[in-house]
Amino acid sequence: MRIGIDVGGTHTDAVIMDGNTVLTSTKVLTSADVMEGVANALDTVLSASGIPVSAIQSVMIGTTQFTNAIIERRQLAETGVFRLNLPSGRGLPPMVDWPDDIADAVGRHAYTLHGGKLYDGWPVADLDADEIDRAIADAAAKGLKNFAISSAFSPMDPSPEEFVERKLRAAIPDAQITCSHRFGRLGLMERENAAILNATLLHFADTVVSAFLTALQTRNLSCPVFISQNDGTLMSADFVRAFPALTFASGPTNSLRGAMLLTGVEDAIVVDIGGTTSDIGVLQGGFPRESNSVIEVGGVRTNFRMPDIQAIGLGGGSLVSDDGETIGPQSVGHRLTEEGLIFGGSTLTATDIVVAGGYQTIGDPSAVASLSPKMVATARQNMLTILDRGIEMMKPGAVQMPVILVGGGSVLVTGDLAAAQEVHRPEHAGVANAIGAAIAQVGGESEKIISYQTLPREDAISTLTREAEEKALGAGAARESLRTVDIEETEVPYMGQDTMRVRVKVIGDLATQAAGA
Amino acid sequence: MKLGAEHLDDLALGSVFLATGGGGDPHVPKLLTREVLKKCGPVELLPPADLPDDAFVAAIGNVGAPTVSLELLPSDDEALIALEAFEQQMGRKLDAVVSFEIGGGNSLIPIMAAASRGIPVVDGDGMGRALPEAQMMTYAIRGIPSTPALACDYASNVTLFTTKGTDVYERHIRALAMSSGGMITTVEHGMTGATVRDAIIPGTVSFAMQLGTFLRENRGQATSLFDPLKALFEESIYGECRLIHTGKVVDKSTRIVGGFDVGNTVVESFEPGIAPVEIDIKNEYLLARRGDQVLASVPDLIVIVDFETSEPINAERLRYGQRIAIFAIGCPDFYRTGDALKVVSPRNFGFDLDYVPLEALPN
Repeated sequence: MRIGIDVGGTHTDAVIMDGNTVLTSTKVLTSADVMEGVANALDTVLSASGIPVSAIQSVMIGTTQFTNAIIERRQLAETGVFRLNLPSGRGLPPMVDWPDDIADAVGRHAYTLHGGKLYDGWPVADLDADEIDRAIADAAAKGLKNFAISSAFSPMDPSPEEFVERKLRAAIPDAQITCSHRFGRLGLMERENAAILNATLLHFADTVVSAFLTALQTRNLSCPVFISQNDGTLMSADFVRAFPALTFASGPTNSLRGAMLLTGVEDAIVVDIGGTTSDIGVLQGGFPRESNSVIEVGGVRTNFRMPDIQAIGLGGGSLVSDDGETIGPQSVGHRLTEEGLIFGGSTLTATDIVVAGGYQTIGDPSAVASLSPKMVATARQNMLTILDRGIEMMKPGAVQMPVILVGGGSVLVTGDLAAAQEVHRPEHAGVANAIGAAIAQVGGESEKIISYQTLPREDAISTLTREAEEKALGAGAARESLRTVDIEETEVPYMGQDTMRVRVKVIGDLATQAAGA
Repeated sequence: MKLGAEHLDDLALGSVFLATGGGGDPHVPKLLTREVLKKCGPVELLPPADLPDDAFVAAIGNVGAPTVSLELLPSDDEALIALEAFEQQMGRKLDAVVSFEIGGGNSLIPIMAAASRGIPVVDGDGMGRALPEAQMMTYAIRGIPSTPALACDYASNVTLFTTKGTDVYERHIRALAMSSGGMITTVEHGMTGATVRDAIIPGTVSFAMQLGTFLRENRGQATSLFDPLKALFEESIYGECRLIHTGKVVDKSTRIVGGFDVGNTVVESFEPGIAPVEIDIKNEYLLARRGDQVLASVPDLIVIVDFETSEPINAERLRYGQRIAIFAIGCPDFYRTGDALKVVSPRNFGFDLDYVPLEALPN
């Protein structure tokens, strides 16, 4: 049996699953102390189900803590950015196209230095050890501990980044460093941005991961712990300490995958309605449809691969104007249970409307009994129109598709949606993210430097694919579920013509463990 | 009209569409151009008809392999250094600059240069799209000497070219681009206002802006955008517009060969029973085939867009797994003349087939 936990900004959800069956679930508030929220959720599911701790084989955690930190510009450590690409890129320092508030939060400590490589391996400029030392001395004097290092063509030749990394570690022994080449593909600015966002989160990542582990320890859970990443696969807790940015898209990924498991529907629009927004995504063959665009996280361009999500400003806490004509995007958010009319507050919210219309019985319906039926009808119609429009935007072509409603705010929608072929409201819809985390997949990666002269490209890719598949199988994947999600080729200089660094990533479902095993 | 920072997003979006995969990613040139426009004020976008006959004009842009610009970032003063070196060589100040190609980053470089110097940029370009080589420009096809030309690289090294013909010029600048990290900025084809009028594909800067505005306002799936897009092109200098394929990229392979991005991509159909489409790439998307059937070929435009948003995707950003749509669009009439087809037919790119205009191909 597995426990899936979703640590969101407002709620922490937990489920216990036996294979693909949800045995029990809970939703508690995420306390200011993350550990306490996780511990509370664990206590609730364990005591409600009566399942002994010893029967739990693994715990999978999904979290939006790091995404939220970036979006809300909090818990970000001031970060020194060392970029090696002068004399190219004059007038384009690191963070040049960032929104001011996040650039300020990260602290504009950018050091643009000589170095980096050209496409053919020739240096853009030789590394200038004195220049690097001066920059490090300046960063040390400022007391910086977090660093991102980028260099032109580092996916091809990471040595300039590694040179600066060694010097930084020597000068600042407790430095926390992210090198951009760890984030893959070509695109210096986006790769550097990913490295900076990662570096600025390293202290917070340590705190959060420690809180997770402590919560599990105090509940005597000694089984393996995994955290889900962007592509729906799992990583170890220690890996997350070094790469928190790899969790940025795990929230939407988990919610889409959870919706699939709950309904068995593999091609559908999934609407995850929260307190402030509805996130609309698309399942294709059981997996999130990826975005082709350059992905922005908190207004910063990055090179991550992420699900294509349309966020619209409608949630359970959305403010409703007195005439019912305007809904959202302002929201009382998680303060709904204090500020909404039905909870004794004084703010008219979307949830009040569905209760006033008699569609749901939540809180104190008498608090909304005096609302004008005409206004309530107008407001409800506007809410449905907002959702229909969002769904239309995400639909692949003119075909009708089923819609799966998940998330705590899904109580807003009763009856049909014009844009939907049919509407699914699965049981446990409120904890789809935690379910998605619990069924997260395992991946296998294989990377090699190969000369296409000796091994033709097609053979090279199929060899690496087989190796990646073996690794995924070794990590527990079911063979029939394996699929290739990424193939990357980067030319390697110096090593003769047609020499490439080739990387193949394969992922698959965890082979279902026998019940009770 | 005055072209300011507020026009750059639409111009960049429209010109990436017209770039047919090449022209370079516009994000970074846009950042640099925006800063220059903020500092120096907006630029006059001059219709070719308003150019005095004796005005002195030169073409400016980047030459190289677009993939390189993802890593080798351009600089804010590179265009100006090349432009000033050109003026010094010619002993004369420029009255206006004009674009090589209305494609991606190369539609923005002339604006950055013009703003830095306070001179107008001509509304039009030398390709009506993007194409990989210098002799394929309308200016060269009309017989305007490409040199004297000045090139500036990432380290502000400046090189003068005086060559006997555009074919030689192309080989020489390509060699310099390769030994300068894969990308250089050149100022070339010094010409008079009267000559510009004779050689230019007119109105493409304003059309790119119009197209960009259209794509932004109608952002959505390629299939639902197709009808109004077709209408927009039919009323322009381009004409025919077709949606030739929708599907998923199952292979993409390009390498930097001889100073170009060279390779191909295979796109499997969303529809069962429809064979995949293969596209050959040399900086730009050149030839689209389904099996042996040619769907579109250079000099007609082959444009790949994100299926969901219809945002155009440059060849260097195209990758495994993307869901895309492929449009084919007729080229401006200039490129269907005998003189032009001597240098831009599929045979000039090594394909063993003659050019057949898009309208004459089975749909």
